[in-house]
Amino acid sequence: MKKGVLKLAIIVIGLNLTFLYIGLAFLPQSESRPPKVIKIAEGISQEELIQVGEEIVFGKGQCMVCHVGKPEAGMRSPAMSGIGAEMEKEAKARGITPEEHVFEALVNPSKYIVKGFEDIMSPVHTPPTSMTDGEIIAVAAYLQSQGGKVTLSYPGSLPILKAQISKAGGK
Amino acid sequence: MAEAGVTKGIVKGIIKFTAILGAGFILLFVLKKMLLAPTEDGYRFFPLIGSRDWIWIVAQLHLNFAAFVLGVPLFAVTMEYIGWKKSDERLDRIAYDFTKLFTLAYTVTAVMGSIFLVSLPLLYPKFIDYMMQILGPTWWLYLIVMYGEVIVCYYYFYSWQKLKARKGFHVALGVLLNVLGALLLLITSAWVGFMTTPAGVTPEGELVSRWGAIHTHMWIPLFLHRFIANIVFGAGIAAAYAAFRFIIAKTDEEKAYFDWMGYTSAIISIGVSLLLPGVGYLLGVEIYSFNEQMGIQLMGGFFAWLWVMQAILIGAILFFINYYLWISLHKMPGGERYFKYVKFLFIVLLLGYAVWLTPHDVALSLEEARRTGTYHPALGKLGVMAAKNTAVILSYLATFLSFAIFRMSNKEPTVSWAKSGHTARAVIIVVSAVGVLGLGIYSYVVSASVRVKVLSPIQFGLFLVALVALYILDSRMYKGARIIGEPRWGKMPERSQYALIAITVTFTWLMGMLGYMRAGARQYWHVYGIMKNTSPDAFLPTHGYASIVITISTLLFLLLVSLVFWSIMKLEKVVENRRGEQ
Repeated sequence: MKKGVLKLAIIVIGLNLTFLYIGLAFLPQSESRPPKVIKIAEGISQEELIQVGEEIVFGKGQCMVCHVGKPEAGMRSPAMSGIGAEMEKEAKARGITPEEHVFEALVNPSKYIVKGFEDIMSPVHTPPTSMTDGEIIAVAAYLQSQGGKVTLSYPGSLPILKAQISKAGGK
Repeated sequence: MAEAGVTKGIVKGIIKFTAILGAGFILLFVLKKMLLAPTEDGYRFFPLIGSRDWIWIVAQLHLNFAAFVLGVPLFAVTMEYIGWKKSDERLDRIAYDFTKLFTLAYTVTAVMGSIFLVSLPLLYPKFIDYMMQILGPTWWLYLIVMYGEVIVCYYYFYSWQKLKARKGFHVALGVLLNVLGALLLLITSAWVGFMTTPAGVTPEGELVSRWGAIHTHMWIPLFLHRFIANIVFGAGIAAAYAAFRFIIAKTDEEKAYFDWMGYTSAIISIGVSLLLPGVGYLLGVEIYSFNEQMGIQLMGGFFAWLWVMQAILIGAILFFINYYLWISLHKMPGGERYFKYVKFLFIVLLLGYAVWLTPHDVALSLEEARRTGTYHPALGKLGVMAAKNTAVILSYLATFLSFAIFRMSNKEPTVSWAKSGHTARAVIIVVSAVGVLGLGIYSYVVSASVRVKVLSPIQFGLFLVALVALYILDSRMYKGARIIGEPRWGKMPERSQYALIAITVTFTWLMGMLGYMRAGARQYWHVYGIMKNTSPDAFLPTHGYASIVITISTLLFLLLVSLVFWSIMKLEKVVENRRGEQ
């Protein structure tokens, strides 16, 4: 009986240690920290604004959770590559400015859904994403830079952004 | 315990629970006075291991025991009912043994619950105040239902022998016990549902509708998922108990009984677990419809590698149960006729496991994301859900076949259409397997929405239809079959019992990990999007760190469970000695 119980204890502890070892040795070890507010200086150059936007898109914005880099079968959200050019065309077709269209896509994404996709995106200026005005302008500039003409600046584009947030029913 | 009178037993139970709960409230009151005031943003810090890890371990232990005491009564009363209707004393005995297990485990559950009750308001006072403000009335309802459950549980247990002549009434008590248990689960699921997918409040967190705050996206699917998982878990613990008793049994009679108990519990556990992917899917759909980002983050973001870990664990469970069933063929006269199929089932399981383990490429840095894109260049095609769903379903189909082979292995059909029956069985297996595989391949070329909403349910549905068809066919074909020989219960090598215990250990670890993922979906929010966690613990630790905490909780739980097993054996001895003296 004692031998059986001992074997049993070895199996229980051994299995637990095996799972622990897999968790420690085979899984990637990184933490997920709450995003920090990215400070964007007034008058920041367009190149820097795009660079900050890219960091947000691949980082705290969590955009790449749904979007993909290049178009591929079965993608659930439009690809980043060429999105600036696509958005310019869409804005023209809708009869609004490219700036209004790109901001609307971020703060009021349900308003216009690209054909073939579903209404799954939540606004970026409200929780849980909670991007600041400067961060939204940086992301929008990055999106424009993907095949389109970058027309946004900080803080120059703030009034257009504020107008879109207001239209979305926010403050 | 077993010899006390019914009224005495119930009173004892009420006193015990009131004392545990009362001690918790007193401790909470005293510690609140003694400890330093919480920080400005509403936190106190637990010494050495920190508040988060303390709550994590205590909550997990409480949840594991709660799952056990809510899951086991369901199949205890089912066994009792079937035993009553079939006049099968053996089923009545197993139901009583299950009842012994969960009645004793209630005390440990209450103790863990009380520690949890003291810890949360002390360490996270602002958060708990907010939760009470939104869902306070449900907490008082919880207390009332819990008392109701304690009374019915003790009544059910202590009246087992006395109500032998009124079995219908006793079974009704068991049903009532389960209704109350389900109600408790509904209430606690509402709390977790509000924290994860809040509703009924303004964006600033002001209460708009209490019912809205209860009836969140996650509420019912989470309840269903937990309800099913509790049965699987409870049955798993019962199987581990039986295996433990088998290993230390001294007589052939004991070995036979516990072998049968272990088999019955394990089959219930694995059989009911077939429903988990379905209810898990419902839960996933609700999370996605609440917030697509949360859903994707949970399935493919930070937690992506933990799904690979989940595959390792569930795959291991499938291997353990198949191994157990294959060994079990040895105790079936005629079982040797089926040995030749084992290697094919093993290959299917192995291939399924390999595909399931293949990770989707997870970029951990901006550079890596730029370099590799969304999918791994070499293994990407196997790392996606289209391949994994197919692999999992085929593995489950192989497991069902192992079970079917075991069930039929000591029988020879005598019906005139037996030959056609065997052909029909082969056709069902091939058609369902090819269908699942075909749908899996087709999944690659359709949109994510069609894959998730249409093809995955059809794949799973096809598998379930095949199972039902096989079950009906076998039941008809083997009706009145020639019995080659009765199963030699108890004639099992000890290693088969270790497989049963391994299932329970793995399942406990899995529950710990999935519980962490469910809580982690909130990321740095106490209430997602409404109340931020501003404590130093407001981050998701590395997977290695999470594995350490999960391992500690699992080992502590198993240690406490072994104490419950030991107490039952002690009590049985006391009862036996008393009978001997009389």
